[in-house]
Amino acid sequence: MRIGLLTEGGYPYVDGEARLWCDRLVRGLGQHEFDVYALSRSERQEARGWVELPAQVRRVRSASLWGAGGGLGLGRRVRRRFVECFGELAGVVCAGADDSGQLADRFGSALYGLAELARESGGLIGALRSEAAVRALESACRAPGAPRAVRAARVPDLLAVAAELERVLRPLSLDWYGDDELGAVDLCHATAGGGAALPGLLAKHFAGVPLLVTEYGVQLRAHYLAGAGAGAGSAGVLGAGAAGAAGAGSGAAGSGARAGGEPGLGAPARALLAAFHGRLATEVYGRATVITPGNAHARRWQERCGADRAKLRTVYPGLPAGRFGEVGEREDAGEPQTLIWVGRVEPAKDLISLLHAFAEVRKEEPKARLRIAGALAEGPEEAAYLDHCRALAAQLFPDEADGAHAVGDNPVSFEEIGGPEVPDLPDAYAAGGVVVLSSVVEGFPISVIEAMLCGRATVSTDVGAVVEVIGGTGLVVPPRNPRALAQACVALLRDPERRARLGAAARARALELFTVEQNIAAFNGIYLEIVSHCPVRREALNEAGEPVPFAHPAEAYVPGRWAARGGTGAGGGESGVSGLSGAGGVSDVPASTATPAPAPSWAAAARQQGGKRPGLGLGLREALS
Amino acid sequence: MTARPERSVDVPRAPEGAEGWDARSEGLVTGAEVGGAPAEAATSRRTTEAASERTPTAASGRTSTATSGHTPAAASECTSTTTPRRGPADPVKALMHRHRDLCERAVDPLEIAAGLEAHGVTDRTAARFRHRDVFALAEEMYARAPQDSAEWDALADATGDVRGETGAQVPRGWAVLALLPGATCALAVAGLGPIGGLGPAAGHARLAVALGGALAVAAAGWAALRYGPLRAARPAGRLTRAWVCWLLAYALLGDGLLRAALAGGPDDLVGPDGLIAANGPAAPSAAAALVLAGAVAPALWCARLFAVRAGGRLGASRGLAEFAASVRPLLIAVFALYACAVGALLIGVGALPVPGPDAALTLTGAGALAALLWLGRMLRTHGSRRAPALVYATVGAAQVAAVALVFAGRLPGCGFLAAPVERLAEAGGTGAVAALACAAGTVVLLVRAIRVLGRASAHATAHDLGGTSAPGSGGTSAHATPGGAR
Repeated sequence: MRIGLLTEGGYPYVDGEARLWCDRLVRGLGQHEFDVYALSRSERQEARGWVELPAQVRRVRSASLWGAGGGLGLGRRVRRRFVECFGELAGVVCAGADDSGQLADRFGSALYGLAELARESGGLIGALRSEAAVRALESACRAPGAPRAVRAARVPDLLAVAAELERVLRPLSLDWYGDDELGAVDLCHATAGGGAALPGLLAKHFAGVPLLVTEYGVQLRAHYLAGAGAGAGSAGVLGAGAAGAAGAGSGAAGSGARAGGEPGLGAPARALLAAFHGRLATEVYGRATVITPGNAHARRWQERCGADRAKLRTVYPGLPAGRFGEVGEREDAGEPQTLIWVGRVEPAKDLISLLHAFAEVRKEEPKARLRIAGALAEGPEEAAYLDHCRALAAQLFPDEADGAHAVGDNPVSFEEIGGPEVPDLPDAYAAGGVVVLSSVVEGFPISVIEAMLCGRATVSTDVGAVVEVIGGTGLVVPPRNPRALAQACVALLRDPERRARLGAAARARALELFTVEQNIAAFNGIYLEIVSHCPVRREALNEAGEPVPFAHPAEAYVPGRWAARGGTGAGGGESGVSGLSGAGGVSDVPASTATPAPAPSWAAAARQQGGKRPGLGLGLREALS
Repeated sequence: MTARPERSVDVPRAPEGAEGWDARSEGLVTGAEVGGAPAEAATSRRTTEAASERTPTAASGRTSTATSGHTPAAASECTSTTTPRRGPADPVKALMHRHRDLCERAVDPLEIAAGLEAHGVTDRTAARFRHRDVFALAEEMYARAPQDSAEWDALADATGDVRGETGAQVPRGWAVLALLPGATCALAVAGLGPIGGLGPAAGHARLAVALGGALAVAAAGWAALRYGPLRAARPAGRLTRAWVCWLLAYALLGDGLLRAALAGGPDDLVGPDGLIAANGPAAPSAAAALVLAGAVAPALWCARLFAVRAGGRLGASRGLAEFAASVRPLLIAVFALYACAVGALLIGVGALPVPGPDAALTLTGAGALAALLWLGRMLRTHGSRRAPALVYATVGAAQVAAVALVFAGRLPGCGFLAAPVERLAEAGGTGAVAALACAAGTVVLLVRAIRVLGRASAHATAHDLGGTSAPGSGGTSAHATPGGAR
């Protein structure tokens, strides 16, 4: 099977986002061929080169989303069509919120109109930067019914929006959609939403290639955060009252600014761009065959942006479990009186709260120790925070010794992973009996998963995807509540049997859900399902390049249920399962009411897309060939 | 307190009756009974306050119902009957105050939701504010955030100022760099002056000085154009470069050549010492060189002036038409300024005793060429390449044709071919050919520039291409690190 892997600022580049995951995916699925279509974000990224590619990557095509790009002059007829299509696009973007599907349809038709125009005329980069585009934007902003924020747009806003649209829509001008390129793959797998999925949308439009979208972080949300970060770091000033909140804000803003690097845009420009990215996300979710969010949080955003629940399937990211296996299977449960904290020391982790909690723990359990194993601090802010934490620890806990003649030390130790005490990450977890997470802001908590893989009981704050990950195999307390954290820690420190039970359950859960193998297996299954149920319809050719008559069985073209009518026909889940076995799933239930949980509910989704009922037998044969 | 004026019929609501459904509503009920009149009055005040609450969710309805009970009377009753509850009367308002920048900046509810989540607000936190999830909470905050059009205008103004300041970025010291070609050329010409006399030694020295000077002027001019405000958006085509070289060469040499050709020559191209004769037809016009090299400085200054002023107007304009209407007169004024500067330069150079043919019209031709090249460069700086290339080619072709016609006129029976050039030279001297061609080209380019530079997109091109890279849209958010990339 041939898979087109679509990335933006990602996989083959050395400093790309999510490159580790993509690399594991590609290496783990050696039975498939991969064509990588990469968009690079900056000159620096392109200059740093690619990672080493395995043999199953047959081809890498790359294009840049930065720099000037060549513009061609367009003929008068083409220019008129461009103005029509772009005006339509701008009109949809400026139309404000509207939940009816009409605007989404108009957006799609304008987008594909532009794509067809770009294909015929050989590129729209120049046209998207031209005065005609800016003028179309202006008239759309001044149109009656435009939101107030958009009506206030001034010339710099229009120019900024036009430049950003040109950048995002650059995939339209690429020559990737020919019959021997994206048109030839069996499946497009976009490793992010938004701009990365745009080539997939076009491949679907031009060649009918099914699209799979994987989002570990929702692009739309990242866009908002990047915009907030660029706005003179105002988010960082917000929660100056609460230390934790302030740190969290500046941390998020910092990452956004690093990613964006864009001078602060005016409110009208941000409103326009937000509307555009929202529409694009809706279009991507609408056209995708299957969407795989990385956790429930991403899933919620996707549902919010109009993704059909029937298409959503959560595929958790996987960690290489091998390096933690030795620690996890060891009988030794670590030092019973030691709490472990592992992670990068930064304000969002709220170590202050952890230290206060530990002070409470010491009141109950005077023998307890806390080891903070951190990665090297990156910036000056993180370094200052680490110093602050050290100072607080020294104030709260005086050095203590066993007897009058021994040299004492502090019950709280700050260690660096890779240093003499903690040579490796598993050693950090192995050292203690209980692993603590005290963050106030967290995405997908990797340190918790690592602790679970090591078979350690955990106490975590209820942030991000922590509850989803822990799932009852550890204790969860509210964030910014040192006393609750302390009580949970004491409860675990005093009960070795419970600790062992929780640790074993955690390891079992992590091995089942959060390993690289499950991630790869899940994607392999999704690939096979998509290809078997939404195969690309290509005309079969013989050796001479002539079409072969009757190459596809006639049933393949018959819409609706052509296989034996299934007797079950009850819920989305059941119909999906019967579809898998080749019996032709039947569901009389509307697709929108299908429950999100059962994985094979794609059957309903496939039926929604124009009532096409793919030939199952043929698809499976193609999939396995 | 059983019938509340602001409730609509179909909003899901908490159970009604004598008993409350939680501790606070208990206080609410008792508070209403004790101090009914003030509570009622406060409720109506709150209703007007909350007129902007457009959130249609059931949760917000519950919020307003629950919080409106916290009037002074109700609150005092609350504290007396139940445990004191920490926090203000309207928790969402407090939250909005904490995130006021976020609320004021936000352009839609999702932006507030993203910002709240980045600050650690989860669905469970939102439940404390009686909302289903963060999205519903963000919607309420967005609906209640103060947003009026004056603020939008202020925002737009602020961005305009920013834009104007960062209009065009040029390296420091460009203004000095701009003087370099003129200064180098003046030095070279001054160096040629003292080398008098005949003989091979003097000829060789003159040649060396002239060649060295020409190279130095070329290097200085290249640097000034490459790093100054007249930096072209994209490199020129090879043909365009060739035509520019021809135009420059003709300005320096063409006059003498044409004069010699009209007189039946060219003879005496080579002097008695085997080198180019100092005052022969092939000797370059030092005056023209001085004018062209000296015009680089006002060219850069005027370009910078135009860029800065146009950047300011870009920020101040509400619409494209307004911008065009304000920037076109600006361009004409700046061009006039440049023309005046070149004119002053012409007068100054004309007064200097420099070697080479220096008829008044030769100098005028050089001045017209300087104006032509400035306009072409301005157009290229703002992303338009075709018009300058075409005009350069046309003007150059006209000059080539003039020389070629003169020579073609010598063929038997073809004398009529040279007639127009001869008549022109009789009327205004040989320099008239170049001056006319360049002036005509300048007029064409000026018309084109007024059209092109009035477009806002031309200025965007100049700004964005000056930067190194386009901005990335995605961020490395907390949720975007799968696969254990730590």
